Amino acid sequence: MEAIKNVLGKYENEYIEDYKPTWVKAKFKNPKDLLNIVKDLKEVGVETCSTVSPTDFIDENKIEVNYFLEDLINKKNVWLKFDLPRELEECKIDSITPLMPSADWHELEAYSTYGVKFEGHPNLRYFLISADYFGKFPFRKDFDWKKHEESLIQNIDDITSEWLDEYEENKKTLPKDGSETVLHWGPTHPASGPIRLVVGVDGENIKWVDPDIGYVWRALEHLVERKDFVGAITSVERICFMDNPNPMICYSEAVEEIAGKEITRFAKLMRVLLGEIGRCASHLISMGGFFGNAGLHTFVMWTMDIREYFLDVLEDYSGARIATASVEPGGVRYPMPDNWLETLEKAIKKYEDTVPDMLDIFINNPLMKTRAINTAKISREDVITNYMAGPIARASGVKLDVRIDEPYAGYDEIEMDYVTCENGDVYDRLYIFFKELNQSMDIMKQAIAKIKEGIEKGEMNPKKDHLVRMPRRMPAGEAVTRVEWARGEMLMHLVTGEKATSPYRLKLKAPSVNHTMVLDSLLRGKTLSDIPLIYGSMHICQGDLDR
Amino acid sequence: MLKVLDFFNYAKSKSPWIVHFCSGCCSLEMLAAMSPRYDWERYGYIMTPTPRQADIIFITGLISKKILPALIRTYAQMPEPSYVVAIGACAYDGGPYNDSVAVIKNVTEILPADVFVAGCPPRPEAILAGLEEVKEKIKKGEPSAASQGGLWKQMKF
Repeated sequence: MEAIKNVLGKYENEYIEDYKPTWVKAKFKNPKDLLNIVKDLKEVGVETCSTVSPTDFIDENKIEVNYFLEDLINKKNVWLKFDLPRELEECKIDSITPLMPSADWHELEAYSTYGVKFEGHPNLRYFLISADYFGKFPFRKDFDWKKHEESLIQNIDDITSEWLDEYEENKKTLPKDGSETVLHWGPTHPASGPIRLVVGVDGENIKWVDPDIGYVWRALEHLVERKDFVGAITSVERICFMDNPNPMICYSEAVEEIAGKEITRFAKLMRVLLGEIGRCASHLISMGGFFGNAGLHTFVMWTMDIREYFLDVLEDYSGARIATASVEPGGVRYPMPDNWLETLEKAIKKYEDTVPDMLDIFINNPLMKTRAINTAKISREDVITNYMAGPIARASGVKLDVRIDEPYAGYDEIEMDYVTCENGDVYDRLYIFFKELNQSMDIMKQAIAKIKEGIEKGEMNPKKDHLVRMPRRMPAGEAVTRVEWARGEMLMHLVTGEKATSPYRLKLKAPSVNHTMVLDSLLRGKTLSDIPLIYGSMHICQGDLDR
Repeated sequence: MLKVLDFFNYAKSKSPWIVHFCSGCCSLEMLAAMSPRYDWERYGYIMTPTPRQADIIFITGLISKKILPALIRTYAQMPEPSYVVAIGACAYDGGPYNDSVAVIKNVTEILPADVFVAGCPPRPEAILAGLEEVKEKIKKGEPSAASQGGLWKQMKF
């Protein structure tokens, strides 16, 4: 920590302060220092950029750019802040992508939505936003989207024209003879979901891959600004329905931090339970989806069947199967229903009964192993440069888990260890999910035991302790929270104004962005038939990719 | 002669094929409807990867601006009669994304749906019930709503 502070202290700053136990927060006066700061930080081990988050302070006529950098090995986080002028011509800063490749798409996103120009970015272009927003920077506070919406048909035509132009361009540039061509994998491919991989192929061999994203772009970060603090959970939870409770936990922790409220121990343990149920539901789809992509649909049916039992638990609790809105600032939304823990135990038992068959038939399937072992390896270095998060990082043997590194909710009470695999190939990226499911079952059992014990001793009241009162108006402040989401680390950066009733800015950072970013390097030199397998092994969810 | 054509419609209604097109969160509940607990294959529904053999297309929840041309293009490739089932609140008025800058709020004005299934997301049972209504339409030989009108014909896709 001291080494990082020494580095930061060399530059002209407004403040350098300790944030949470593993964080250093610093604000600098001169944006020109950025590259040197990052270079120096790299020397002390901070090698990864988690995300870049601009905030538009229209009243002060400035855009504040936040950089979240991480040292994945020693678990240290650095938060850098720079002020930029709002005017489009002046609003520019050096790109850190040449130094930290993990910042690549995050910078593109900041450029497309806020118009912060990153000078020296290898390929600065509009990204994520649809073609009708090119050059309009929709997340700026003065963007008039109601006016923009009036010409809907024209907007759609703009989007279509972009594709037709691309088509004409390809016609011109591709050689007339030979077997080189450009294929589009998605957005209507059964295995792809709403994402388009533009694949340059020569015969069957892949030359390059260019993922085109934004097909489920809902501008959630912009949407929450028009909701109140509790209403915002409906937007936040919709980041991805596969693992529904964890994003809400992340958001609620951020609001509680700003409000300065502590929630009850019962609510904390309930968050552990809900979070793990969400993780199980998501992992089961991911594992099934992997086999579905590879062409074996039986396993999807199996895992979907087990998942239903976990959804039953969520339904008993909140009344909804997947859109639960079950966690809100101040605790968890509902008191614990009677016999709820028994329903959960039933789901755990259902899973555990299936484990031997699952192992025999699918996880140890020799045919799948032949295809998957040693395919598309991700090394430890790749994990650090490109910031693979969660299971993908752990499959490569990197010990990375927010639940242990920076415990949130009730995870500090839970005994757990990093689950890792060694090789980081496609097979390990499947197997890690199976291992993690087993770990989740263990965590849930621990949490259940703790809740039962607490109720027996009279320390917890499951009907009353679930929620503490939150202030109606928040003080001005900002918070950064992280949770271990099913597919990796989720980071939220919440900014509030004085006496605010709704968030001023909420940056959602989700892991799939980085996982999609590396598809190009993973797929180069492979054949077309490898796309579903490798794509499936990255467990990408378009919902959190586009937000 | 009329009787024979009726029989064809009846036969068609027993096994509608649904094109694989997912654009939003509701596709998860569609997946659940396929799964063993709800198992829509017992009603004769089956997914097909290509629109050219499909009878039904789902608007699975939200349609963002960018995917709308792809949706219309997929729909236009389906042979007549091609029915549209809109599921989820988003397909009606944007639902929870009603304030969003990137989501189409009037999808069913653009591509009129034959059946709308409410919910956010609708339960698998509701999706099945919605599909059963489409079956009735097929049985009667009614033309699909999208072939009768809608803004999609004015758009480039």
